[in-house]
Amino acid sequence: MEVGLVTTMIEQAHAAPQEAHAAAGKFNAGETIIGHVADNPEHPLIHIGPYFGVDFSVTKHVFMVWMVAAITFLTITWLVRRYLKQSDRVPTGGMNALEFVVEFVRDSIAAPNLGKKWLTTWTPLLLTFFFFILTANVIGMIPIFDALALLDHYVLHTGPDSFFQGLLHGGSTATANFNVTAGLAIITFFAIIIAGSRAHGFVQHWVNLVPKGLATPVYFLLIPLEFIGMLVRPFALTMRLAANMAGGHIAILAILSFVFIFTELFASSMAGMGIGFGFSLPLAVAISGLEIIVILVQAYVFTLLSAVFIGMAIHAHH
Amino acid sequence: MDNPLVQVNPGLFFWTILTFLALLALLTKYAWKPLLKALEERRATIEKSVEDAKRATAELQQVQVESARLLALARSEASGIVTRSRADADRFGEEMRAKARDEAAAIVKNAEKEIHLETARALAQIRTEAVELSLSIATKLLRRNISAGDNEALINEAIGQFKSVQ
Repeated sequence: MEVGLVTTMIEQAHAAPQEAHAAAGKFNAGETIIGHVADNPEHPLIHIGPYFGVDFSVTKHVFMVWMVAAITFLTITWLVRRYLKQSDRVPTGGMNALEFVVEFVRDSIAAPNLGKKWLTTWTPLLLTFFFFILTANVIGMIPIFDALALLDHYVLHTGPDSFFQGLLHGGSTATANFNVTAGLAIITFFAIIIAGSRAHGFVQHWVNLVPKGLATPVYFLLIPLEFIGMLVRPFALTMRLAANMAGGHIAILAILSFVFIFTELFASSMAGMGIGFGFSLPLAVAISGLEIIVILVQAYVFTLLSAVFIGMAIHAHH
Repeated sequence: MDNPLVQVNPGLFFWTILTFLALLALLTKYAWKPLLKALEERRATIEKSVEDAKRATAELQQVQVESARLLALARSEASGIVTRSRADADRFGEEMRAKARDEAAAIVKNAEKEIHLETARALAQIRTEAVELSLSIATKLLRRNISAGDNEALINEAIGQFKSVQ
């Protein structure tokens, strides 16, 4: 990952004089970092809309969401189909890994929170959450588009408005964008309501939100509080995942930016290289290692909390 | 908000929900349902296999106990048969020997009896012939008439002499 980022930065710092930061002759760390993390709605891949005042254009992150969904679906379906086709059904290779994760999600995340009765109803949703978020996080860690940027810079030379250029701009971690994580969290939000309604009936689900048998004035305080709590849960899911994913990438990019900052500061590429190999690269590698844990933990946490919230709606004993 | 990191983008929000729901539907239909079913089936199969193995082990143990019992029984029976046979053989041999002894004794007794009879007969014959011989000798020697009373007395004397000789 680091090599890809470094080369892209070099390219951005030196090969794009028409861009604002380079035109001023200065390396702008903030802009570079944001360019590698944020979406790029100014240059969408496909223009759609706006309809009803909403721009449905396919931006980099929409493309990433689709790519993640496609990879997740194809990989998992391929593994499962291949396994089910066997006559003796001995799991091998990727199927072993998939099975391990599926059983982990089912037995350690879903089962303890949902209980036996609703396990089969909600396990597919939790599995899809886990694999979708994990795949999105993992793809963000692989510098595919940095490698493509190198290819474009040295071989393809596509124009600034081409589809390919559109692909190269913007961050590649869809889960670092809170619009994406909000989309996932709103699904948890509705899953909670549906789970509660299916277990207790639609009206009873809302009644379950507050404890019974308290003094009337308490309810004036409690009902708004529970209502806020209901909204805070998906909000927390949204922010936790997006901020964690963006934060890790920003940290790595900031550390790598020292290379260019020191190059400019001392007007010597040797200073930049020294900082790069002596400080930035080892630290960025270490943080990338940490990120591998973070991407697993965040996928786990989102899935676990969704399971906990759905379980709370099912087992409401107020 | 100007910060591109927290830019609201309803389009992206919409596409995420749509994509995720589509992924959820597709994965549930083509991957999760069949996979979870297969895992459950395999769990059941393994459970059954373990159960079967346990039962088979128990059965094997029972069979082993039974076969050990049968083997012990057969062994004791065999040794019984051998003992009995040996006793039978001994008894039979004893009987044969006793019979042989009896027969031999009978033969010997018969022979002895025969010998006695033959001896008695021979002695009687010898006695008769000796009397006749004596008579003829006496007749020739005397060449005289003697009274019938003398004759008788002489014969009896002679027989008496024989008897005493014998």
